[in-house]
Amino acid sequence: MDNIYYPFEAEVTDIKKETPTIKTFHFKLAKPVTFKAGQFMQLTVPGIGEAPFTPSSRPGEVQEMEITILKTGRVTDVLHNEVKVGDRLGLRGPFGKGYPIDKFIGKEILIIGGGVGLAPLRSLIYALFDRVDDLKKISICYGTKTTKDQCFKDEYDKWAAMPKTSLNLTIDVLCPDWEGTVGVVTCLLEKDRLDVDVRNSYTVSCGPQIMLKFVTIKLMEVGFKPEQIYLSMNRRMSCGVGKCGRCNIGPYYLCKDGPDLCYADIKDYPNVFD
Amino acid sequence: MKVYFLPDEKLKELIKVLKGLGKVFWSREREITSARESRTKIKIEELEEDAIQDYRIPGFRSYDSFKTFLLPLPSKVAEYPDDEWIDIKNIKQKTVLLGLKACDLCAFSLLDKVFIEDPEFIDPFYKRRRQTLILITSDCTRAGKSCFCNLLGRTPYVTSNFDLNLSEIKDGYLIESGSEIGENILKNLSPVESNEEQIQERDKNRKNVMEELTAQNADFVEAFSNPDILVSEGYKSEEGWNLGRTCVSCGACTNVCPVCYCFTLFDRSQGEGKKSKRFRVWDSCQFKGFSQMAGGLNPRFPLMEQFKNRYYHKFFRFHERYNEYKCTGCGRCIDNCLGDIDMREVLSGIKIEREKVNG
Repeated sequence: MDNIYYPFEAEVTDIKKETPTIKTFHFKLAKPVTFKAGQFMQLTVPGIGEAPFTPSSRPGEVQEMEITILKTGRVTDVLHNEVKVGDRLGLRGPFGKGYPIDKFIGKEILIIGGGVGLAPLRSLIYALFDRVDDLKKISICYGTKTTKDQCFKDEYDKWAAMPKTSLNLTIDVLCPDWEGTVGVVTCLLEKDRLDVDVRNSYTVSCGPQIMLKFVTIKLMEVGFKPEQIYLSMNRRMSCGVGKCGRCNIGPYYLCKDGPDLCYADIKDYPNVFD
Repeated sequence: MKVYFLPDEKLKELIKVLKGLGKVFWSREREITSARESRTKIKIEELEEDAIQDYRIPGFRSYDSFKTFLLPLPSKVAEYPDDEWIDIKNIKQKTVLLGLKACDLCAFSLLDKVFIEDPEFIDPFYKRRRQTLILITSDCTRAGKSCFCNLLGRTPYVTSNFDLNLSEIKDGYLIESGSEIGENILKNLSPVESNEEQIQERDKNRKNVMEELTAQNADFVEAFSNPDILVSEGYKSEEGWNLGRTCVSCGACTNVCPVCYCFTLFDRSQGEGKKSKRFRVWDSCQFKGFSQMAGGLNPRFPLMEQFKNRYYHKFFRFHERYNEYKCTGCGRCIDNCLGDIDMREVLSGIKIEREKVNG
């Protein structure tokens, strides 16, 4: 029997600095892993502990994987400060259900990301690009504090050039090197700016909890129904299999039923956004 | 299943047979003497040879819970980078638990639902440990002050899922087997069959304890009629949860609870270039760190949200998934609360407040 708590080896083969606080780690895996966009991994820094991350690379059966990480706590501090190319870390997973891509077929998809929240969405974006013929439209909205905080900058042109795809960026604070939209990400969702057939689309959002809250409010305001809104929720996690008891929203455990949940399923439970 | 009679003097013999099967842990009455007071406490201890002679099975459940035998502290669950080591292989020896009460057995069956009966994930460590346990249960002969198993539709005696069950009657115990292991133990004792009168005495004892429970919990019956609905619909009631305001977030309730199983994984390095170990340790939703994420966001803040979570998990979340309440009614959380919080009164408080609001 496999031991669910045992991490298999993952060698760091490259570290790319995305922003001053975000790095993308490239891993070579000791065994092939099949994951769906939105499913997450538990990354072990030996002797330090684990933290959950959704890979930012193309899903499928893979021997290599990218994980984009914001420096923000005990495990990620070590990842940013001490881990170097050649180090052997551990991985468990994949866990969770991932995004319901089959549901998206024939629809317009509105992707809303904030900060490092674009990382899991990048994996979804790749998955959607692979099936772009089956989709009506892919609209990507991405907000960051400044231009310095934008992840995957060198891929934006490629994304925008994909058929049926649009990319809209915004920054919270005006920067000298910026000529685009200024304002939090919800400003891209105003009725007059949003070029989306509301009745025939799904939205997927990932970012800090406060962003998810106001994105949801805005989406409802412009006519989306809770059934059309998917959110990558954030909760502390440990086991990954719905046993350790902490990552729940109502009766749903994010680690095994999520982490991407439909707003319609969770909206009536306590502590969804606060 | 036949019920036999085991006279008092033969209890020693039973214990000796149990000793032959593996390590025995019993619940036992102990005199606790301190400068302040002297009182009797029912504790779980490893069997002591010298004490067999005077041993009596206590009248109700022990002070601490038996979950330690299924979820030991700490429990090593992995060693990496290589996985030569697997803890479960080392768990072979049988462990006999003597003096479990109905609530303790109920706790095991609730934990089973989470760790071995949920088809989504079967926990190999729990499963192995569960298989090594021999369970010798006994009827309650009185109700503890905080006992409320009756409110959850449970009884202070067991009818299934045990290996052997003992019911204290005059001059001895009625003994009944509930499994093949129990059957084999009985063979070693060659007990006599019980008579109709003795069975009647047992049933009368059971009825008496049940009446005792009914009387002491009469005020709370309504609050426990649908606690799942009460806790979820009353979740936002400000006044309803007022009794929780004396909670100091010490975590005693979750620690002594026989079904609070939430845990966290914890890694420890053995030094440069050496293996690291991963442990599973108990955690408590009553601690801030239970839900607080890197970056500081805590979806269960302030303290009252932590407090509510315990009720929400026990009576709503667990019920949604397993159609059972994650509470045995043992009352250990009441006995151990630093804030003097009584779960029965909390639920009643929500109920009363809801009725006020709803008219």
